[in-house]
Amino acid sequence: MNVIMIFYYLITAALVCLLGWNLIREKKSANDMILGLLVMIPLVLRLLRVK
Amino acid sequence: MTLQIGVLLLLMVAAYAVASLKKLSVELSILAAAVAGGLGGAFLKTPPLGELPRHLVEGMFPYLDVMLVFSTATFFMALVSESGGVNYVVRGAIKLFYNVRVVALLVLMIIILIPGALTGAGSVSILVVGAPVALALKALGIPERKTAAILFIVAGLAAAAPPVNIWAMILCAGTAIPYVGFTYTLGIPVLILGTFTVLWLGLKKEGGMDKAAALAALPPVPPGMKGWRVLVPFVVFFGMVIANRTWPFATPIFGLPLEFSAAAFTAWLVSPRKPDVLKLALNTMKRLLPLLATMIVVGMLQQIMTATGVRGMISYAVISIPLVLLFIGLAVIIPVSEGVLTYGAAAILGIPLIWFFDSIGLHATVAIAGLSILWPLGDGLPPTALIGRLSVMVSDYKGTYWSFLRQTWVPWLVITITSILMVVYSAKLSFLVKWSM
Amino acid sequence: MSAPESKPLAHPVRVKIVLAVLAAALTVAGGVPLFKHRHFGTPFVAGPGVTKVIKLSDYSPGLKGRFVDADVFVMEGAEPGGKALIMANTHANEPAGYLAVKILIENAVVQKGTLYIIPTINVSASRNTKAGDGYPLYYDIPTDWGRVRFRMGTRDASPLESWPDPDVYIHYPDKQLLSYLDLRNTNRTWPGRPNGPMMERVTYAAMELMRKEKIDLAFDFHGAETMFPVTNCIVAPQKSAKFATLASMMVKAMEGFDSHVEPSPQNFRGLSHREIGDFSNTLPFLLEAPIPFLDQPTGPKTVKLLLDGKDPFLLSLAKKKKLFVSYDANGWPMDKRVGQHMSTTLEIIRQFSKKTPDRAIRLSGAPKYADLVRDGVGKYFHDPAKAEPGRIHYE
Ligand SMILES: [Zn+2]
Repeated sequence: MNVIMIFYYLITAALVCLLGWNLIREKKSANDMILGLLVMIPLVLRLLRVK
Repeated sequence: MTLQIGVLLLLMVAAYAVASLKKLSVELSILAAAVAGGLGGAFLKTPPLGELPRHLVEGMFPYLDVMLVFSTATFFMALVSESGGVNYVVRGAIKLFYNVRVVALLVLMIIILIPGALTGAGSVSILVVGAPVALALKALGIPERKTAAILFIVAGLAAAAPPVNIWAMILCAGTAIPYVGFTYTLGIPVLILGTFTVLWLGLKKEGGMDKAAALAALPPVPPGMKGWRVLVPFVVFFGMVIANRTWPFATPIFGLPLEFSAAAFTAWLVSPRKPDVLKLALNTMKRLLPLLATMIVVGMLQQIMTATGVRGMISYAVISIPLVLLFIGLAVIIPVSEGVLTYGAAAILGIPLIWFFDSIGLHATVAIAGLSILWPLGDGLPPTALIGRLSVMVSDYKGTYWSFLRQTWVPWLVITITSILMVVYSAKLSFLVKWSM
Repeated sequence: MSAPESKPLAHPVRVKIVLAVLAAALTVAGGVPLFKHRHFGTPFVAGPGVTKVIKLSDYSPGLKGRFVDADVFVMEGAEPGGKALIMANTHANEPAGYLAVKILIENAVVQKGTLYIIPTINVSASRNTKAGDGYPLYYDIPTDWGRVRFRMGTRDASPLESWPDPDVYIHYPDKQLLSYLDLRNTNRTWPGRPNGPMMERVTYAAMELMRKEKIDLAFDFHGAETMFPVTNCIVAPQKSAKFATLASMMVKAMEGFDSHVEPSPQNFRGLSHREIGDFSNTLPFLLEAPIPFLDQPTGPKTVKLLLDGKDPFLLSLAKKKKLFVSYDANGWPMDKRVGQHMSTTLEIIRQFSKKTPDRAIRLSGAPKYADLVRDGVGKYFHDPAKAEPGRIHYE
C-alpha cells in the first residue's frame, strides 16, 4: 500500500471517529443517530477492507 | 413484468409518502422507500430476500469518495471561515466596490462560484461562504428572500461549473465518453447565467444602508488577518491540482480529499488565531450529516431500484417519449429527478438519454454540459431540496419555502431555456469543446 | 435541516444502543457476502493442452505479490509456430469472454504455435462489485454433473487496490484527459507503466508479455450494451483490419452470425485495440458480443437476464428501432455470445495462419458457435472432482 492510500485510510478513520464522537454526544435526535450510524457503515467496511 | 415493476414503484412512493407524513426526515423517507422496494421485490425474488442486506449495504458505496470530498472540503472552508479569511474577502469586496454595485455583485458571485466549482457540490459553496456573502448582499440592500434566491441559483451554477461537475463525471463514466472538453462548454454558460442572475435579482437596491453602516454590519476581521494568509491555503490546494495536471507522470495522484486536507492543514498553520480544530471538525461533521446521509440513502435507493427493475422501467419510459416532447419534457424531468434522487438521477436517466442523443447525431459532450446546468435547479425541489433548504437557512429568510422558490422563477426559466437549447443545438456548439481541449 | 422532531428522547442511551446493534447487524449481514465474493474462486481445470501456468508478474516485477497479479495459462504446441494472447475479464461484468476462455483452457489442444490465455486480466475488478447497480454476486452455469458458480465482477478495479481516484485521469503517455473512473478501467490504462498506478502496471505487464514473447495476435473479449453503438463487432486498428474483415465475412457465410468490423478510433487513447497495436508488433482485436444485462432500460438485474438476455423493455425498444443489434423474443443467450467469441477468434487465427504459414497456429478441441448453441456452454466444463489436484486453478 502506498503512502497516499494510507492517508486515505487515515482520513476515513478520522471521519469514523468524528461521527462516532458526535453519535455518543447525541442525546435528543433519534434521526441524527440513525443517519450517523448509516454514514459510518460504508466507512467502517472500507477500513476493514471489505469493499 | 411492467405491472409488477409498476406495483413496486408505487410501493416505494407510498413508503416515502407515509414516512414524510409521519414527519420523518427526507433521508429517512428515502431509506424507507428503499427498504420497502427491497421487501416488495423479495416477493418476486428481485432481489431474493437473503440478498437484501447485501444490496442495502452495497448501495451505500457509490458516493463514498464524494462524501470524503464533501467532508474535507467543508472542513477546509470552515477553517478558512473560522480564521476570518472569508470575512476578510467579503469586507474587502464591499469596501472597494460598494459604490460600483455591478462589480460588487460580480465579485460576490465569483466568491460563491469557487468552492462549488472546485468540489462539484453547490452545498459546499453555501456551507462555507454562504453566510458572509448573504450578509454582504444584505448590506447591498437586497432583501432576504432575494438573497436566498441568488445563493441558490449561483450555488447550483457553481456545482455545474468546471473543473469538477459531478453530473458530467457520472455521465461520462457511464457512457464511456472522456471527461474532457468541458472547460468552456460549461464555463461560458455558467458565467453568463450567473451574471444574469445576480444582476436580475440584485441590481435594484431595496433597503437603505450606506457604505459605513454596511461595513459595520459585517462581522469583524480578526487582527492579524492579511491577504496572504487567505491566499496561501488556496495556493496549496491549486498547487496540488495543477501539479497533478502539469506533471501527471511525476506526481502521485493526490485526489481531492487529500488536496483539501493539505489545504486545511495549511490554513490552520497560517491562521492568525488558532481555532479549536477538534470542535470545528465535530461541528462540520454534524452540519454535514444530512448531506452525507443523503448520499448514502440515494445510493441505496438506486441499488434497490435497479435490482427490482424500477430504474430500468423509468429509463425505458424516458427514452420512449417522442423527441420533441422529450426536449420540452427535459425542463421538468431533469430537475424533478434531481429533487427526488439527487446525483442518482444522472445515472438513472442521464446515461440512457446521452446514448440516445448520441445515436441521433447530437454532440454528447455539449448535451451533457447542457443537462448538467439544468440538474442543479432540482436541488431546490422537494423532497430533497438540498441546496434550496441550505440557501434559506444561511440567508436567514423567515418566509415559506415556496415564497423563496417563487423568487427564482426568471433565472430558473432562463437557465432551463439555455440548457435545452444547448442540447438541441449541441452539434452546432461543438466548437466550445474544441476550444476547451 | 434535520428532522423537525426535536423533543428529547425518553431513553436516549437505550435508543442509541438498539440502533447501534441494528446497524452492526446490517453491516455484518451485508458485509460478509461482499467479503466472501471478493475471495471466492471458480475452479478452472488445466486441460490436456495446458503446458504451464505462469503469472503476469513474471513479465513485470511491479506486480509481484500484488492482489492484482493474474494467472497466465500457456498452451504450447509440439511444433513451433505463431503465438496468440487471449484476455478475458478486462471488464468483469461482461462474462461471455471469461466462459469462452474457460472452455479453451479445459478443452483445446495446440498442435502448432502457442496460446497464452489470461482468464482475468483485471483481477481486482472481477473481485469488486458495481455499487448502486444491483447486480447478483454470482451466476451459475448448469452442467451434466452439477452447477459451476462464477463471480459477477464489474468494470472497474476495486478502490481496495487503487485509491484514491484522480480529479481526472491523465492517460500515459498521450496526456489525454479521461474520466476519473478510468484509472481503474483496464481498457483505458494501456500501454501502462511498470511502476505507475496499479491498473497501468497490469496492462504494462501484458504489454511486456506481448513484446517479450513476440505475440502475433491479441484478443480482448468484451460485451457491450445493445443500445451502445459499438456492439456485436470486432474492433480493430488499421494493421489488424484485414484479418478482422476476412473473419467477419467467413463467420457470416459459414456459421451464420453477424459480427461487423469497427475501426479503432485514432484519437481515443488507452484502449487495448489502439495501444497494443501502437506499442508492440502484435495485431490486436477487441471482440464485442451484445450483453442486454448491461443496458439501462431493462427489468430486474437477475441471473436469468444475464444468461438468456431476454427483456421486454429492450424488445419494445427494438421495435422502435432504438437498438444497435437485431433483437427478438429469443433475447441474446449466453451460449450464442460465447460461441461468437469462440468462432470469431478461431477464424481470425485461421486467416492469419493461412497468410503467414511460418507463424501459423493450429489447435483442436475447441467447440465452435454451432456446438455451443446446440450443447450449451456447461457441456464443455470439466468436473474438478475428476481432475488431478495439481491441475485445478481457482480463478
Ligand atoms: Zn468491455
